[in-house]
Amino acid sequence: MSTAIGTRSSSARGLLTNGLTTVVILYVVLYVVYSRMEAGALTASAFGDLVNNSIPLAIAAAGATFVILLGGFDLSVAGVLSLVNVVLATHPMDGAGGALMSVVIAISIGAAVGLCNGIFVAYGGLQSIAVTLAMMILTRGLALVVLDAPGGSVSDWISDTLTNSLWGVVPASGLVALAVAALWAIFRRTNTGVALYAVGKDQTAAALSGINVKRTKCIAFVLAGALYGLAGFMLSAQTASGDPNAGSTLLLLVFASVALGGTAFTGGQGGLYGSMIGAATLMLLQKVLFSSGVQSFYIGLFQGFVMVVAVIFVNVITYVARRNREHA
Amino acid sequence: MLNLRDESATAGTGFVRGEDKRGAVRLQRETVSAIGVYLVCILALFLSKFINPEFGSFHQLQTILTLASFLIVVSYGQGLTVLIGGLDLSIPSVITVGGVLAAAWVSTLSPAGFWWQIPAVLIVCSLIGVVNGLGVTLLRIPPFIMTLASGIIVYSICLGATGGTPSGAAPNSLSTLMAGRIGGVPIVNVFVVIFCAIAIFMQSRTSFGQRLYAMGSNATAAKIAGMRINAITVCTYALSSALAGFAGMMLVGYSNGATLRMGDSYLLPSIAAVVIGGSSILGGRGTFVGTIGGAILLTIFDMVITSLGLAQGWRTMISGGLILAAILLQHEGALDWIRSVGRRRN
Amino acid sequence: MDAASVIPTLNVTGLHKSYGPTVALGGVTFTILPGEVHALLGENGAGKSTLVKILSGVVTPDSGAAELVGSPYKPQSILDARAQGVATAFQELSLLPNLTVAENLGLPRLEKGPTRLISRRDNEDSAAATLARYGLQLHPRAPVSRLSLADRQRLEIVRAMSKEPKLLILDEPTAVLSSTDWLFAIIRAETARGTSVLYISHRLNEIRELCARGTVLRSGRSIATTDLCDTDDAAIFEMMVGSSLATFSRDRSNIDRATESRLKVTDLHAGTIKGASFEVPVGGIVGVAGLDGQGQGDLFHALFGLTAIESGTVQVDGKAVKVKSPSQALKAGIEVCLLPEERKTQGIFATLSVQKNVTLGALSKVTTFGVMRRARGLKLMGEVAREVDLADRYFNFQIGDLSGGNQQKALLARVLSTGARTLLLFDPTRGVDVGTKQAIYEAIQRYAAAGGAVLLYSSELSEIVQLCDQCLVVYDGRIVAQLEGEEIEERRIVAAATGHLDASKTRRAA
Repeated sequence: MSTAIGTRSSSARGLLTNGLTTVVILYVVLYVVYSRMEAGALTASAFGDLVNNSIPLAIAAAGATFVILLGGFDLSVAGVLSLVNVVLATHPMDGAGGALMSVVIAISIGAAVGLCNGIFVAYGGLQSIAVTLAMMILTRGLALVVLDAPGGSVSDWISDTLTNSLWGVVPASGLVALAVAALWAIFRRTNTGVALYAVGKDQTAAALSGINVKRTKCIAFVLAGALYGLAGFMLSAQTASGDPNAGSTLLLLVFASVALGGTAFTGGQGGLYGSMIGAATLMLLQKVLFSSGVQSFYIGLFQGFVMVVAVIFVNVITYVARRNREHA
Repeated sequence: MLNLRDESATAGTGFVRGEDKRGAVRLQRETVSAIGVYLVCILALFLSKFINPEFGSFHQLQTILTLASFLIVVSYGQGLTVLIGGLDLSIPSVITVGGVLAAAWVSTLSPAGFWWQIPAVLIVCSLIGVVNGLGVTLLRIPPFIMTLASGIIVYSICLGATGGTPSGAAPNSLSTLMAGRIGGVPIVNVFVVIFCAIAIFMQSRTSFGQRLYAMGSNATAAKIAGMRINAITVCTYALSSALAGFAGMMLVGYSNGATLRMGDSYLLPSIAAVVIGGSSILGGRGTFVGTIGGAILLTIFDMVITSLGLAQGWRTMISGGLILAAILLQHEGALDWIRSVGRRRN
Repeated sequence: MDAASVIPTLNVTGLHKSYGPTVALGGVTFTILPGEVHALLGENGAGKSTLVKILSGVVTPDSGAAELVGSPYKPQSILDARAQGVATAFQELSLLPNLTVAENLGLPRLEKGPTRLISRRDNEDSAAATLARYGLQLHPRAPVSRLSLADRQRLEIVRAMSKEPKLLILDEPTAVLSSTDWLFAIIRAETARGTSVLYISHRLNEIRELCARGTVLRSGRSIATTDLCDTDDAAIFEMMVGSSLATFSRDRSNIDRATESRLKVTDLHAGTIKGASFEVPVGGIVGVAGLDGQGQGDLFHALFGLTAIESGTVQVDGKAVKVKSPSQALKAGIEVCLLPEERKTQGIFATLSVQKNVTLGALSKVTTFGVMRRARGLKLMGEVAREVDLADRYFNFQIGDLSGGNQQKALLARVLSTGARTLLLFDPTRGVDVGTKQAIYEAIQRYAAAGGAVLLYSSELSEIVQLCDQCLVVYDGRIVAQLEGEEIEERRIVAAATGHLDASKTRRAA
């Protein structure tokens, strides 16, 4: 999952150095702690709540993973989230059909922003942090133009159904997350999926190997944008209203999730599953701290520490694995 | 059988080693882009006169410089961390720390405030940077994560300690700095000029600055060339935090009080100023001269947009669009084209 | 050979390529026949890499024509070139370290299973088949990052060959290979099938073994295509450089054996090095030879503080020193100059000017209280540049734009500018053209004559024979032979380097 087909994950040591494993373990440990603290934590509805809360961040982190795998940065996630949220809140469309239209609109907005990013970065050769910074500011402004203060209301069908659980057990939003994961599994086994890892590791070598680097980069940005749009859609389902600043608070958490999930900022390493679970872990951490009575003031403190500790942990394991490999 | 197909009687005439010639050309690009930023500033000021005849007056320029002072100070720190290939996302929180401490702790009137309390606050702020630097070097944590985490942690502590509303007022020294005048010009303007002069000098003409460029260009090579890259990294982050703390104090002097979110509006603009000014986000390239231009440009944009009385949304969009335009102009192709146009005119 | 009736595999006429005002290729014309291994010779900067890029489809020429087996050849991309029958093994390897062997072999279009998704098994199977066909013992699932440099080179070559091209371009394929047997065998198998090979290398002895004809490029033009058996080394050199070959002769009169050795290493254990002991006298040039990865890297890194020393002592001028970091090594007067192939990642500051690159090694000399003094910088630059024969018009250029040879000169200049009294040079002339090599040898010689001491590792044995007074051969982390003076000759070095101890004399009594 972490790197290429059938590499380190085939060996036990590989499993340990895999960032995905670390974050899964972290999540499980946290969940155990949580269940000790909070009675009723192990019920389906509590789990459903957790999933609902984590989905927007998880899907946004999934999108960001595409760009980070390329070795770039994508700050536009904040803008797209906000924009999609306010659009859905000011133009609610009723019923299931309306929800379908809304999802299409949300993803299209995200993909369009992603396309702009992709064109400037891949074909224009500009630095991704600069371009996405500008795009973020632009989309945030656009969000403010659409809705200048928190308000509006998202269509009932969306906010009800997508926060509900199917058959009382499986959270609907969880299905969306699974769908994203499934799409990623398919993408990984396409030529573009492999090309993504190649370009992120060494652009020149990728080009000399026959990969169309520009096209790969552009596609990555578009897919990222589409996922941001979807995340915005799920966020709207959660909050049921619009807020032009909805995305800003999530911006840094998105990158934290990706880091926690084992995707390296240098590119060419990591994966989507880790980012999504990293997001879930961060949100769960918040819940745990809240339940333990930690003042909301200090939640940020703990989040920061957890981020740092997780990265150190992964570094240590990677270092140990490399040492062992060299002496083997 | 020797099969000579000698195309030239004398070897090498008319042939210029392709690779070697381009070097001279590329080094001038940084100067061009820095000049370009200032030209756009002047253009913006000129155009703004149509919006409001007041703009462009000497008094107006002083205001611009005053308003830009915070961003200029912060962008220098950000620029230094970017130069070595890192990033400092803890700046907003450190601004808050500096401001909160200045307001709440530094005594308002007594001279002790100026001589040792303010330096003490600066030292506390720089310690945050030291922690950042240690995390990046010893623990190999990517700068993005490290500074992000420390920023969140520091902010939480502030939040907890102040209970949400920081108290206190600005110490005399700071209010004088920000509001006073000397010889007809605001003191802060003089301060900015002196600061910029020292900052530019430090970055481009001292061995410390040279080492930063080397590290940003190739950290491994820098280490092999004998530079103590860990120590330099820690110093750089410490300096960035100290400057952010000072900017926080400046803000307190300006608004006579601190708020918890006062640093928020300086993070992205500091990155933007550095990028617009011609520095590469990957490090090893760029000058503070360009960054100053970027900071001033952003301030001018902000003022013009505010004066247009537009809703915040349109203001944000326009500023985003302008930043995008500035970035596009930075592009090597655009610069080449501009230079070739200039050459053709001659 | 009945040249008239055979359609040449490749026929290139008058290729031109310019980048703005600068000319990379100013007219290249030559022909390659089917089944021929055709050498391409020329200094760095002569245009070889541009020619390779054009033929591989990476760039398009400005003018000129190329024909592949009689039809016009104008590839628009690498895939296009491959489709038409040209495959290249690049000098700067084009493998992706984070992908597996199988994936690298399959790029960019991997095998798909029935679901139209990439099938791991199909990929690995076809990779295994390819590897077996060319006799390369690699596991298809191994990540390339775990392969040694030599194995990566082989993989790069096999990848190109597996595309079954009509024309195979090999750019410096033996740079990191310890023996050429495997490569030559598969090349001969390919040419027997009618494949043509364009073989680019600096190693004339290999070229003579493999190629009948060669084309020499100089300053972007093809100077001549010659039958190699009729042309001796001196003539080839003259075509490449435009002037006659200067032979380098080592002047051993300045070695000072009376005073304490500059560098004395006793029983050193570090990394893979076990129990190394040797001395470098003042004015001496001691060479280190060995196959890839026998511990020479660790030896140099340990002496420079980049690899931890587990036990043993290092003495400089008789005094024991502790070398825990490069800055400590510099204080002790040791200085290291790194491998050319790694000069991109470990040597040069690509975004900075040549002058900055050089003076960054000696900041204390060009600053007062930390402030840069321009005059001093220029003076120092002028001095060291003269030492290494680096033209002063390059001073303000961005070093990334210089040719490999000039970059290497600049790095050597930086090393010299530190004023270090001992130099550790790790393969300083790898990938450097013949003319520059001479200049570098002269610089090293002058340095030693002025009282410096040099420990030199080289993968080119002729270099060690020419330059060194003493030669240490490393094998499996140990120094298995110490050859002095006349004993230093290629056959003995190779014997020791491959582990045949009896064939070489070990330490000679002083």
